[in-house]
Amino acid sequence: MTEIALAVREMTKRFGGLVATDNVSFDVPVGSVTALIGPNGAGKTTLFNLITNVYRTDRGEVRFGEVSLGAMQPARIAALGLVRTFQAARVFPGMTTLENVLAGAHLTLRSHPLRQMLWLKGARQEERVLIAKGEAMLELFGLRAFRDVAATDLPMGAQKLLDVIRALMARPRMLLLDEPAAGLNDSETAELGAALRAIRDSGITVMVVEHNMSLVMGVADQVLVLDAGRLVASGTPDEIRQNTEVIQAYIGQDTESGPC
Amino acid sequence: MDTAIQILLGGVLQGAIFAMLALGFSLVYRVTGIVNLAQGAFCVVAALAMYSLESVFGWAPLPAAAGALAGTTLFGALLGATTFVPALSLLPNSSMLMLTVGLLTLIEGAILAVWGSQPYALPPFSGEAPVVIAGVRIVPQGFWIIGTAVVVIVTLWLVLARTTLGKALRACSDNPAAARLMGIDVERMRLLSFTMASLVGAIGGIMVAPVTSLEFDTGRFFTNSGFMAVAIGGMGSYIGAIGGGLLLGVTEQVAAGYVSSLFSNALTLGLLLITLLWRPNGLFASLGSRRSDAREELRVQRAIVRLSGPRAGLYAALALLGVLVLPYLVSSGVLSSLVITGILFIAVIGLDLLMGYTGQVSLGQAGFMAIGGYTSAVLATNYDWSPLSGVVAGMALSLVCAIVVSLVTMRLRGVYLALATLAFGLLVDSLAVGLTDTTGGPSGLVGIPSFSVGDYAFTTPRSMYYLVVGLIVALLIFFQGGIKSGFGRAIQAIRTDHMAAAAFGVNVERYKMAVFAVSAVLASLAGSLYGFFFHFLSPEMVGTSRSFEMIAMLVIGGEGTLVGPLFGTALLTLLPTIFQPFAVYKTAAEGLLMVLAFRFLPAGLFGTAVAWITRQAVRRKSDAGLGASGLKRSLP
Repeated sequence: MTEIALAVREMTKRFGGLVATDNVSFDVPVGSVTALIGPNGAGKTTLFNLITNVYRTDRGEVRFGEVSLGAMQPARIAALGLVRTFQAARVFPGMTTLENVLAGAHLTLRSHPLRQMLWLKGARQEERVLIAKGEAMLELFGLRAFRDVAATDLPMGAQKLLDVIRALMARPRMLLLDEPAAGLNDSETAELGAALRAIRDSGITVMVVEHNMSLVMGVADQVLVLDAGRLVASGTPDEIRQNTEVIQAYIGQDTESGPC
Repeated sequence: MDTAIQILLGGVLQGAIFAMLALGFSLVYRVTGIVNLAQGAFCVVAALAMYSLESVFGWAPLPAAAGALAGTTLFGALLGATTFVPALSLLPNSSMLMLTVGLLTLIEGAILAVWGSQPYALPPFSGEAPVVIAGVRIVPQGFWIIGTAVVVIVTLWLVLARTTLGKALRACSDNPAAARLMGIDVERMRLLSFTMASLVGAIGGIMVAPVTSLEFDTGRFFTNSGFMAVAIGGMGSYIGAIGGGLLLGVTEQVAAGYVSSLFSNALTLGLLLITLLWRPNGLFASLGSRRSDAREELRVQRAIVRLSGPRAGLYAALALLGVLVLPYLVSSGVLSSLVITGILFIAVIGLDLLMGYTGQVSLGQAGFMAIGGYTSAVLATNYDWSPLSGVVAGMALSLVCAIVVSLVTMRLRGVYLALATLAFGLLVDSLAVGLTDTTGGPSGLVGIPSFSVGDYAFTTPRSMYYLVVGLIVALLIFFQGGIKSGFGRAIQAIRTDHMAAAAFGVNVERYKMAVFAVSAVLASLAGSLYGFFFHFLSPEMVGTSRSFEMIAMLVIGGEGTLVGPLFGTALLTLLPTIFQPFAVYKTAAEGLLMVLAFRFLPAGLFGTAVAWITRQAVRRKSDAGLGASGLKRSLP
């Protein structure tokens, strides 16, 4: 029996008459890449928002390791090591690429904010180490050249990568990535796939919402299929490929209206 | 018993006016998602226009009223078409809110320039003799107010609920993109809502003018009351606006009638805060939950404004040198203005941290100046405290107040925080006026000693100047480091995207509270120095106008640039000193410059200058063949 990183039980959420997620339950094993797929409006992003308590659940429970996330503030959830990215790249405007990366490391800073502001010895040392690490990460993802450019000036693909780097800087135990490949071209997507595998191999559990099937099938250990708020299938990529209900969800009916 | 009914009736009358104002807010909010703080100023414009038409041009009351309404509505339409509506597609919500502060200041300033600062009252529409019904005396104007309110409310309701136009207006608020796709001219609907709201405000103003006196800055009280009413009732709700207005009116009159008007101000603020905590969406709001991402919101966009490297050090050194020799080059009148510039800049630095860097709008910053100023002045003047310990006591009291305000408003976002701070500022205003025994009331506190540290007293303007410059340099160095540190990254992350900030573990509430406290302490320090410098302190020196003025200084100089606001502060402080005739137009110019800055210089004077300097540097570099690496550093 593998250890479970994230357990979701009977998650239900309604917006007025619309059932966004309906009794969804699943487990994400430690050290795996779990992909969440489904047509537009299936409730994938809503599910992320429910896990990280951006929305309040009507019913259901989320456990991260041993901890029930209950009504915990999003910032507390991040502090536990569960870090997410957003569907549209949400780099911080008015900050350079490097500053964005460093902002992701907020939780790893140990010195008191006042010591940081005064640049006292410990804080100075900490900042130096952090900058070196941030630069190394930018190097790793090929964004080194953009170090001092306003992050909002980066091409979309680079902004999506920056989102992932920023999340990694928080030293998460588990990453929730919301459509990291949206807006990437084929070669960038392939790089992202390699990066996801590398992230998993470094011991970080990954859950990813994705539309790009080749990416999903290439990196996922487990695939969950959501349709109209219900979990309609789960299994290995091969099993999902054979599953008729999934094929139906994607091809057999019109896509649901409304944004994800 | 009769008194009780009398008071209650007064409350209903006042409530009817508030309800009309609240409807104006609600109308604009429902179509654009923005609270238009300039709303209350239209009341005053209409009433004073009617006054002039009647008494100067000799028109009969009815044509004068019609003329005033038409004129005000046209004015509203023009203002909306040139400023508010085009800005909606350029500015994020928090900046829109400040833009409406600019509009409010602009209109107040225009009224000041045209009608002066004295109070006006209109004659009642149909005589003064009260009608007595079952022992209750009712002034005839009361019937006019109630009657008009009912007509306005019913008409608006019919338009919104029963006509295609109403459906189109509501569609714009629910989903502008979809409304556009359905062929609705969203811009026109936005302008229409703004214009209708100014008409409703104008009607309210004309009706209420015979029973209250109006001054150029009465508009902000209408804005405050209407805003409170709509917040209590529920932002997007029609019934809520009316219910909130009546509740607020009755509460205010009952509290004022049985205790005092001072208590009434505090009580209505309390009522608002309790409502916001208990039912954040207002008492009458629908309970259906709404997806927070349903409304497309403009993301905060901003360029990176910063000079770095040896060049920046050189500029800073030159600027400091200039600042140090300046007192020997100017007249004593200008020197005094420079000291005031410096003192105000201390408060504006705090405001920049709060608004420019953290993205929180405070409309009551001068309230903390008042707390600091009066605390230190009273302690030093009447209780023989040393000025320094008085300043520290004032800062401590401001800190406590800031923490209480932010604990209460912690869960409130954007517009509600702005509202709470506006109400807080007005409350401090009324305390400063009302606690006559301690503060000297409206005529001010006199005989405040000079600031001193130990045995050294800063009696001359020149010594004050160097004291203030020293303080500012220390503050700038400290905060420059602070902004570059992890703390600075965290607050800037909150400003642009609090959800993403929280996702990286930033404790958004705690950081906001810390910055709010810092800004309050700085404002308090500035307030204290202000009193010690003038040897005098009056409520209007540290009142709500000052709060608005400081926002204008911030926006004109350049938000989020730390040093930039100094230029805005200097501009608005020195201009009236250097060009005396300009003083009358100061408020109007303040508002106009602020509105223009939002439209044309989003990074302010300083930001624009820095962008220009950086572009020049890049051009020089690329001329020298270093183009590629230089361009990467360029500003967008």
